[in-house]
Amino acid sequence: MTEFIEFGRTWMPFLLEGVGVTMGLWAIAMVLGFCLALVLVWSRVYAAKPIYLLATLYIEVFRGTPMLVQLFFIYLGLPEIGIVLDPFTAAAVAIGLNSAAYQAEYFRGAIQSLPAGQMVAARAMGMSRFQALRDIILPQAGRRVIPQWSNEAIVELKYTSIAYAIGLTELTARAEQVGYETFQFLEAFTLVAIIYLVLTGTVAQLLDLLERKTRIPGLTSARGKME
Amino acid sequence: MVFDTLVAEFPYLLHGLWIGIQLLAGLLAMGLVMGLTLSVMSTFGHWSLRLFAVIFERIFRGIPEIVLLLLFFYGVGELIPMSPFVAAVIALGLRSTAYQAQIFRGAIQSVADGEVMAARALGMSRLATIRLVVLPQALRRSIGPWTNEYSSELKATSLAYVIGVVELTRQASYIVSNLQGNTLTVFAVVAAMYFIVNRLGNAGLYALERKLAIPGFEGRGSES
Amino acid sequence: MSDTPILSVCDVRKTYGGVEVLKGVSFDLARGESKIVIGPSGTGKSTLLRCINLLSPPDGGIVTLDGVRIEEKNINQIRAQIGFVFQEFNLFTHLRVLDNVRLAQRNVLGRSRQEATRRAQKELERVGLADKFDAYPAELSGGQKQRASIARALAMDPKLILFDEPTSALDPELTGEVVQVMKDLANAGMTMLVVSHEMSFAKAAADEVIFMEGGVIVEQGPPDRMFSHPEQARTSQFLQMITHDHQYA
Repeated sequence: MTEFIEFGRTWMPFLLEGVGVTMGLWAIAMVLGFCLALVLVWSRVYAAKPIYLLATLYIEVFRGTPMLVQLFFIYLGLPEIGIVLDPFTAAAVAIGLNSAAYQAEYFRGAIQSLPAGQMVAARAMGMSRFQALRDIILPQAGRRVIPQWSNEAIVELKYTSIAYAIGLTELTARAEQVGYETFQFLEAFTLVAIIYLVLTGTVAQLLDLLERKTRIPGLTSARGKME
Repeated sequence: MVFDTLVAEFPYLLHGLWIGIQLLAGLLAMGLVMGLTLSVMSTFGHWSLRLFAVIFERIFRGIPEIVLLLLFFYGVGELIPMSPFVAAVIALGLRSTAYQAQIFRGAIQSVADGEVMAARALGMSRLATIRLVVLPQALRRSIGPWTNEYSSELKATSLAYVIGVVELTRQASYIVSNLQGNTLTVFAVVAAMYFIVNRLGNAGLYALERKLAIPGFEGRGSES
Repeated sequence: MSDTPILSVCDVRKTYGGVEVLKGVSFDLARGESKIVIGPSGTGKSTLLRCINLLSPPDGGIVTLDGVRIEEKNINQIRAQIGFVFQEFNLFTHLRVLDNVRLAQRNVLGRSRQEATRRAQKELERVGLADKFDAYPAELSGGQKQRASIARALAMDPKLILFDEPTSALDPELTGEVVQVMKDLANAGMTMLVVSHEMSFAKAAADEVIFMEGGVIVEQGPPDRMFSHPEQARTSQFLQMITHDHQYA
């Protein structure tokens, strides 16, 4: 056990340098996914049939196929038609596009879980669809979606490790390097596993805090209905 | 030209798919047996088991699949040598255990306390109550969420690529590197293959759910 | 046979969440007797029943079934001899009615499939559900569910049956069918302990009425005496309130 602690002390700094790449990749992918998800949700909830179908197709494909295949498609396949991306960008794009599909479905669920009367009342007061969306629908749906969105965020954080498969030097790749250096693969990967546990745990706690801070009785919990 | 290549290479892809399916079956079976046991024990057993279940799930859900695969193959493999396939089954199987335990636990807890009390009041032992009253209902209710788990693990099998398991994705990468070009097509076909297997599995599970449904109960998708 | 009471409850106490709900309750139930426990809500009447078959173990006191002390050790065998009818029926929703009545016979008493089926059919006919053998609980009305759950208890050949507010969860027009079954059972010699406010059962079939309040037995006696000249003021207050309500109902 003490050997493990020694090992940790020696190699932790090197491994932790990889955290920056991981978090950066994650943040960019989540933002990309978020923006694209908004477009997808609009298409699925409010747009005309052809656009609705396109969005549905997108979501089915990205949710129904493995992310690794999507990554290879983008990194190895796109160069065939002239789009060459470096590993970091390719990974960010792949994870982002994938995440968009999941986020869109969660948003759609949250929006559709609101009583229809909300939108009707807003329009009756003279608000445009856009205003109603911005001031009435999204603040409520946004709160309802937090638990599932948090789950999605953590899943994507873990999925940044996929960039390992196309040679990006993020956390997992660094662990492998340490392994080859010391031939102590078990210790190296255990260390990295611990780092991921800490990362996911912290993110989970922060998002849980967000959920609690923005909670509204009766909207996000049943309490309002019980009384 | 493209078409000829595809037809020539297709048997290899099918073989890769077959390996992938075996991997999927192995890890799901492991997850089912261990997950069900864990959920029953942590619901009805000593509180320390509940604690163990929480920690187990936290660990195996908090670590990326790729890290788990590498950890088992290269790491644990130092002490106990194992083939990439076996390492993949174990690594992904343990992870599936964590997810399935949660599914089953939720379903078990959704079986009314009153029925458990009635069974005990009739003189049934705890084991008999679990076997004859709780599980028949819990398992039925698990099918819906379990379908998601199936889809999730099917996609996870592609990650066994990183430790060299020659499942579908790795086969595809061999093909792509052997013949320069047609990368987009090959991966598109592979994606389609996963998509189809996913759909078939979902359809099968949905049919199973309908077949086992108890009259008077709403199906998946309705909320009380 | 000896005249040991079938059920002997002696100084039973129970505390729930800091509140002492049962403060030393004692009474006996002889073979063939039916007693009804009445009293304001929350005075521990249901808790008393659950203390008897240890669904909720008492904190003090002794309960004896036919001379044998009821404790955790052989609780499954003991429970097999005590029938329990719940307020919320608690039928096994994944099993048809016939299977509901058969399950414990086979699993706990070890009866063969034929024997269990025969008894199940007999008891279901007895409670008036001969045409519902193959129905699922979800397909039954409240009154039918409760009668099925009584059949389930009867099929075990219990020494006594405990009824925990059997009609409280039923719509008013359905209580009659259940109360009739209970009256018939009492008149046929079943030993019963009933917690309820169904006064019609008390007047027609109970051998004794036990009035509980505040976790203790305030007064007990035969129905005609209890209803016409109760000894305690609290008893008459409660009875007035009950009959007053029933007049409005």
